[in-house]
Amino acid sequence: MTAALGLHSPHGTTGVTSGLPPSTPYGHVCWVYDDQAGFDRQARAFLTAGLAAGERLWYVTAGRPEPVLAQLSTAPALRDALARGVAEVVPLDATYRAGAVVDGPAQVRAYAAATDAALAAGYRGLRVVAEATPLVRSPAQLDAFTRYEHQVDRYMRARPFSAMCGYDRRELSSRAVAELACLHPETNATEAPFQLYACEPADDRAGLAGELDRSGHELLGTALERADLRPLDGRLVVEAPRLRFIDHRALLMLRDYARRRGATLVLRSPHAGPARLAALLNLSGLQVELAR
Amino acid sequence: MRTGAAAGHHGYLHEAIRYDSDDELLAVVVPFLLGGVEAGEPTFVSLGDRTGRLVRAALPVGSGVEFLPGGDVYARPTAAIRSYRELLAAQVAAGANQIRIIGELPRIALGATWDWWARYESAINHAYDDFPLWSMCAYDTRITPPAVLDEVARTHPRFATPDGGHPLSPTYLEPTVYLREHRAAPADPLQATPPLVELTDPTAAQARAAVHGADPGVLPADDLDDLVVAVSEIVTNALRHGRPPVRLRLWVGADRIVVTVSDGGDGPKDPFAGLLPAGNGATGGLGLWITYQSCNHVSLHRDGAGFTLRLIAGNPDPAS
Repeated sequence: MTAALGLHSPHGTTGVTSGLPPSTPYGHVCWVYDDQAGFDRQARAFLTAGLAAGERLWYVTAGRPEPVLAQLSTAPALRDALARGVAEVVPLDATYRAGAVVDGPAQVRAYAAATDAALAAGYRGLRVVAEATPLVRSPAQLDAFTRYEHQVDRYMRARPFSAMCGYDRRELSSRAVAELACLHPETNATEAPFQLYACEPADDRAGLAGELDRSGHELLGTALERADLRPLDGRLVVEAPRLRFIDHRALLMLRDYARRRGATLVLRSPHAGPARLAALLNLSGLQVELAR
Repeated sequence: MRTGAAAGHHGYLHEAIRYDSDDELLAVVVPFLLGGVEAGEPTFVSLGDRTGRLVRAALPVGSGVEFLPGGDVYARPTAAIRSYRELLAAQVAAGANQIRIIGELPRIALGATWDWWARYESAINHAYDDFPLWSMCAYDTRITPPAVLDEVARTHPRFATPDGGHPLSPTYLEPTVYLREHRAAPADPLQATPPLVELTDPTAAQARAAVHGADPGVLPADDLDDLVVAVSEIVTNALRHGRPPVRLRLWVGADRIVVTVSDGGDGPKDPFAGLLPAGNGATGGLGLWITYQSCNHVSLHRDGAGFTLRLIAGNPDPAS
């Protein structure tokens, strides 16, 4: 299955990562794991796909580099890439300040510089696996990091940078996992019933996927607040090609969110159901468009 | 300034016509309609094909009476209330002092789905009372079951008779009283068979998946999606407001899907639940109201074990 291949991908990066849903917009994966070996397999697959696409590869870890080098080297292609300097194991402190609350914009700038450097060195992009659990342990860290996840998501939508963020379920609450996973376009985590992700960087469109019912309303409120979506010309457009269900309360939440930002909420869905629901509610500030 | 039998009346004057011949119907309806036009009042007809043609033929050409498209408005009670309220609000906004309407439910509404139309007939005494409306609901006694006629009398405060009379209905009940009565719909024959799906305390997502997974192609895609919305809302309400256990049962027939959602509670307390948006409408209490507009029949059932809401998508009347 393709993880990073997107029909709408601006750079046409491709990758093969087993266990991920197909037809994803681009490569920003939240992988939540219960055992290290399982995550290692996913990480190797994710990086191997980047190798095939001509990308520079980073594995960012808070731990010692040796075990990571050893597990990556079990894949011959990655062992070779490490030897050639195409792939590197990067200490967490070199990219993030462990234990600190992330500075989202600064972190995005750092990855933008690293992506530019990769391009300047002749690579087609930068692909990163990051063991991010140490960065989200406290509530303040989690809040800042989830905000950063959407900021970097926007960057990834525009530039040839992709990432798999690994989170250890054994060290995080299920709520924290849900808060992180719902701000990635792709995840294996069942804790998040929906995903809110960046869609069109040009006009800051967001995308929604999954299912939105009462069980996800509180999470949606938190995710929207952290994503800090910005309307354009009085319209806050949310693309929903993979949104399987939305109830009336979630529609109202989206409408109210847009209204607080001085905008009309425009939900674009391939299904007629949300449009019928919106017609019943007949509320100002809410438009549902059929987008086949 | 109100005119005719509604002179001096505030709000909604709701009358029933019980006719046993076309002549009787016309004897009431024609003067009612022409009187409205003469008084400069917006005057509407919302009848079925046959009676609509009959009345049209009895009116002078260019009478000024407006014929609304029949059928659709009476597809679902809650949608009828919504659409009539929009029509009435527009007429009042345009300056109408009174609006006259003659309407008639389609024959199918007098069968297996009568319970929710009985609730409609009662609820509109309240729902249309914001407007200077004088309306008449026509019932053909030759095809209307006696039990239905009893409920007509209990939901209409007055009758309109061919001799020009407007007598009070002696059995009329205020909607807040009538709508609190237990009025179960007849069991669907499918309910006598083992359900295809039975879930205890499902999440709304599991309930939606069960509905999606159960349909072998009986329903058009949009109807199935609407049923999924309805089931999701009802399961959400049962989990939130009802008492455990919440049980979902689902049957699939040749032309319909029947779903029941039960819990150990008493069901909604609002007598207008489903027919009017509950609460302030903008922030909650809309689930049952949406459900009433997403299915072809919704019925409420209460017994010693608790409350059951039954939803039917597709053909709501197995006898039709």
